[in-house]
Amino acid sequence: MATEKTDVVIVGVGAAGGILAAELGKAGMKVIGLERGPRRRTEDFAAQDELRYFQRQDLRPDPKRQPVTWRPNTGARATAIPTQSYGNQAGGGTVHYGAVSWRFHEDDFRVRSQTIERYGASAIPEDSSVIDWPVSYAELEPYYERAEYEIGVSGKAGNLQGKRIDGGNVFEAPRKRDYPLPALHVDQVGANFEAATRKLGYHPFSTPRAIISQPYNGRPACSYCGFCQGFGCHVGAKSSILVTKLVDADKTGNFKLITGAMCYRVNSDNSGRVTGVSYYGPDGSADNAIEAEIVIVAPFIYDAVRLLLLSKTDRFTTGLANSSGHLGRHLMSHLGTRGFAAFDDRHINVYMGPSAQKHTIDDFNADNFDHKSLGFIRGAQISAGPAGLEGGPIASAMNMPPPPGVPRWGAGYRDFFAKYYTRHLAMTGQTENLPYADQTIDLDPNIRDAWGLPAPRMTYDWRRPNEVKRVEFVNNKLLEIGRAMGATHVWTAPTGPGAPGSHHQGGVRMGGNPRESVVNKYAQSWDIPNLFVIGSANFPTSAGFNPTLTIQALAYMTADAIVNRYRKSPGPLV
Amino acid sequence: MSKHDEARRAFLVGAAVGAGAAAGAALIPDALAQTPQAQPAAATPPAHAHGTTASQGYGAWFNVDESATIQAFTERLMPGAPGKPGATDAGVLNYIDLALAGAYADQRDFYRRGIAQLEAYCQATYKEPFAKLSAARQDEVITALEQGKTTGFTWPSAQAFFNTLRTHTIEGMFADPVYGGNKDFAGWLLVGFPGAHPAFTPADMASKEAFAGGVLIGLQTQAKRS
Repeated sequence: MATEKTDVVIVGVGAAGGILAAELGKAGMKVIGLERGPRRRTEDFAAQDELRYFQRQDLRPDPKRQPVTWRPNTGARATAIPTQSYGNQAGGGTVHYGAVSWRFHEDDFRVRSQTIERYGASAIPEDSSVIDWPVSYAELEPYYERAEYEIGVSGKAGNLQGKRIDGGNVFEAPRKRDYPLPALHVDQVGANFEAATRKLGYHPFSTPRAIISQPYNGRPACSYCGFCQGFGCHVGAKSSILVTKLVDADKTGNFKLITGAMCYRVNSDNSGRVTGVSYYGPDGSADNAIEAEIVIVAPFIYDAVRLLLLSKTDRFTTGLANSSGHLGRHLMSHLGTRGFAAFDDRHINVYMGPSAQKHTIDDFNADNFDHKSLGFIRGAQISAGPAGLEGGPIASAMNMPPPPGVPRWGAGYRDFFAKYYTRHLAMTGQTENLPYADQTIDLDPNIRDAWGLPAPRMTYDWRRPNEVKRVEFVNNKLLEIGRAMGATHVWTAPTGPGAPGSHHQGGVRMGGNPRESVVNKYAQSWDIPNLFVIGSANFPTSAGFNPTLTIQALAYMTADAIVNRYRKSPGPLV
Repeated sequence: MSKHDEARRAFLVGAAVGAGAAAGAALIPDALAQTPQAQPAAATPPAHAHGTTASQGYGAWFNVDESATIQAFTERLMPGAPGKPGATDAGVLNYIDLALAGAYADQRDFYRRGIAQLEAYCQATYKEPFAKLSAARQDEVITALEQGKTTGFTWPSAQAFFNTLRTHTIEGMFADPVYGGNKDFAGWLLVGFPGAHPAFTPADMASKEAFAGGVLIGLQTQAKRS
């Protein structure tokens, strides 16, 4: 048995874990990071191979070795989901993500209060578990700024200290500083979306992305190759944790990364403290342990929940740090409604330029529009990009159902795809998903992973009245925008069978008190002060925006709290 | 030996020794990768039970009958026409054959049973193997599979079999030629994809015309350059 001692152990060095590793290391704390996947290098991403990275998902978990299961309700049998969208290496999902980097709106942090103030309590669906976040936008603003500047985000401010700026997102919450890098170039997807949405009176802008538009911190600017979503960046222009904070962490001299390490238990004693973790080593050894003063659990939400469930004790019989009973509950995902526009009179060349969610309107997101007569609350980020979020022909063919009247195969399909692959664009309505307490993650009793651990099991069905109405509303907006582009064909994709979409969130909810949440706003367990569980698992509500920059801002805030307060006086931070 | 077979052997050898072929490499038998004796099976197929013309581009996993079925099926999914390369032109069968020998080894039984169920259905309905049916009949069968209206399918279901073949046809059409399909970039030329380019300029992105600056380069050429 190999046992090491350290100040801090971090399980999963992705969007949150990478930041904590660097910041705690800088403060002189000894940090060990456990990562179940490998640590890759920019040189490893030279091959822009769509089959390998997009279709066969080389940077994501193998669903056969690391299954995650789903069932629509407790009466149904769970089966392994075929595609997992989170990361499986040092840097986590930031290695392969589309790098879309949002600050949430002010009202995204207070959905319950905002809804009641504007529409009355009856506007909140009875079965929804909507709460306000325990942290406000104003409190998080400096950490958003730090994330944008340290990691490198390109964009244009739309609200600089209260001054609205056309060309940026005029619906964004006020920011003290503009982005560190100018917005990325607009390609034909963006140009068409921009023209159509302006004509309709909306407010389009180039989506802010953690892809550097100019050389920054020793890294070269984006080359617009188009292989972002699903790929590692071949020049290191995508500001992944791999090329940003892990480099910082290395420089501290206080950080050690163990790759191939699968953590299976958070260890605790009877004094109400956690003592470290146990993990399967890269060599197959089972009994490796790390003893640490602070344990930070920072993998994707499935593994965060599963690890706490597996670490139950006599004191915490339903999962470690679960006195609230909320562990594994309130699972949310973004419901991705999709529309398509195909043109006879112009090429779009979707394979060029940073690929995912290139151009955006925020007019129908959050509470940016009046919901009074709509029958639902909250909204969607509406954006345009290639059908498959990256622009190669496999992704486009797999993700663009042909318009009504065109078959899915045969000469008719061939001619459709041959003509329109370079003449299409897709729109995504990335819709917020309210939390519901019965949408859960627990341990699958039947299916185990390659290490013999029970697979995380999701019980989830998004098709509730509020969500269905919102999806219909957003779909109609996509059709409206497609028509305003003057496209020859405009159509939407059929909605799915209730399975979770992208950006799964929740399960380790943060809140204002220990009864209704698992952790406080610093991602610190209410029950066990030297245990932190951080990531999008903490989100009380989902917003219509991609989660990563908010995960990163929360990680900076937690790092500050640990360095400046916890270290001096270990104990509850709230 | 055709140019295609040479390319195929080059792939197999490359797959066995190269890092780029990843999971597939270790699963391709050494005999196939290294000895020319393994190739004539593909180049000169044995007499066929059903008397159909055997297809090019198999031998790593499919047998002669299965290859005829898959060749015919994928060609109906993505049919070729003058100036429009289809599945046969692109070597989709070769792609699937190599995938089943390697990266998709876990789907062998899916294919074996799917093909057997398809052939049983065709025998019961038309008293002929799928590959010998007219194109119109083949389309009827595929439509029935797509809509789940065939009889006699248990596992895989007719729709699952159809969907997998559709997915693998798309992969074989459009994946980099290093994987054995998209022969001579047939799929990329069909749809106007210029291949992986390390950079595009603002002028490229401002254009509303088809991109004309492309030289198609596959992964193997790219790797040799770097």
